[in-house]
Amino acid sequence: MTSRGTPSRFLQSVLQNGVGRYVCQLKRISIIFSKNAQSSLGVREFIEEGVVDYAKTNPGTVVYVSPNTSRIPKIVAEYLNGNVREEEVTSKSSKQILELINKLTNQSGLDVIRLRKPFHTDSPSIQGQWHPFTNRAPSIGPIRPLP
Amino acid sequence: MALTLKVCCAELLANIWRLRLEPRRISSFKQTGLLFPSFKSHRSSHSISGPSSLVPLTSLSSPPWPEVKSISSEEEQRQNTAVVQKVNSLITNEEYGRLFAVVHFASRQWKVTNEDLILIENHVAAGCGDRIRMEKVLMVGGENFTLIGRPIIGKELVRVEATVIEKTESSPKVYMQFWRRHRFQRKKIITSPQTILRINSIEMVPRLK
Repeated sequence: MTSRGTPSRFLQSVLQNGVGRYVCQLKRISIIFSKNAQSSLGVREFIEEGVVDYAKTNPGTVVYVSPNTSRIPKIVAEYLNGNVREEEVTSKSSKQILELINKLTNQSGLDVIRLRKPFHTDSPSIQGQWHPFTNRAPSIGPIRPLP
Repeated sequence: MALTLKVCCAELLANIWRLRLEPRRISSFKQTGLLFPSFKSHRSSHSISGPSSLVPLTSLSSPPWPEVKSISSEEEQRQNTAVVQKVNSLITNEEYGRLFAVVHFASRQWKVTNEDLILIENHVAAGCGDRIRMEKVLMVGGENFTLIGRPIIGKELVRVEATVIEKTESSPKVYMQFWRRHRFQRKKIITSPQTILRINSIEMVPRLK
């Protein structure tokens, strides 16, 4: 598929984030793992080592740790705009999981799809849009065809 | 060899044709000789710029725009000082309205104003929520004037601030190679880091405030 056929959106932010102060958009993160499965080893290590530090450095995010009988450990991230992202962390090390969680924290919850333009502005022109009469002295007179 | 001879003959013939057309100039031709093509071309160009009455009035003979009269240096100086005074008074009285700036960041130039978003296709060292100052300002403008840096405007004159609001990854791009009839194909899925900045403020003469 060419890139034109993929879904796209324009650059945006959630509720003018950053105009006043910056608000972390991740509201809730739940770490779902198994107590004894081999594939959850890295997650269990992360819960022993890093999860408390993460929760302390991010007071705006609620962290749930829920043991489950499922063999597939996953991280479910919920954002302030209502979007939910699930990431499987099968047999990943604790370092990889920390990287993934940091990435989810830094995101805004908007869809990760193609962005059409690398900028967004609400006031596209400050001095007025250019037209043929811009900077033209009125003494010259109106534009008329050549004699 | 034969070809060059042919070309020479053709040139001679053309010259003779020209001589027949201009019988007055035969004498001068005889003095200088016939076998100088550069001389020939010079003569032909000379014949075009004849008396002005014979040349038709076209866009090629005279430009279609009116003649520009240059002002004297004193008059120019006076006008320049008037403009500078006007701009200075606008800046001191803060009568510039919304400001815009052209900022050099991540090896490209961005035209930004307050509350703009810009997307940088790379990793930025500042974390989310950090406020950074953009120091390479190439241009600042208000409603009625523009200041242009040569090449950048000094830090004491303008202050552009931005906040990092998101650090994410681009959507996956598929890089596919395929060589037909050669059992060769390679597929790579590439994601690149992205950073989104929010322009918070553009201030002029921040030291005075």
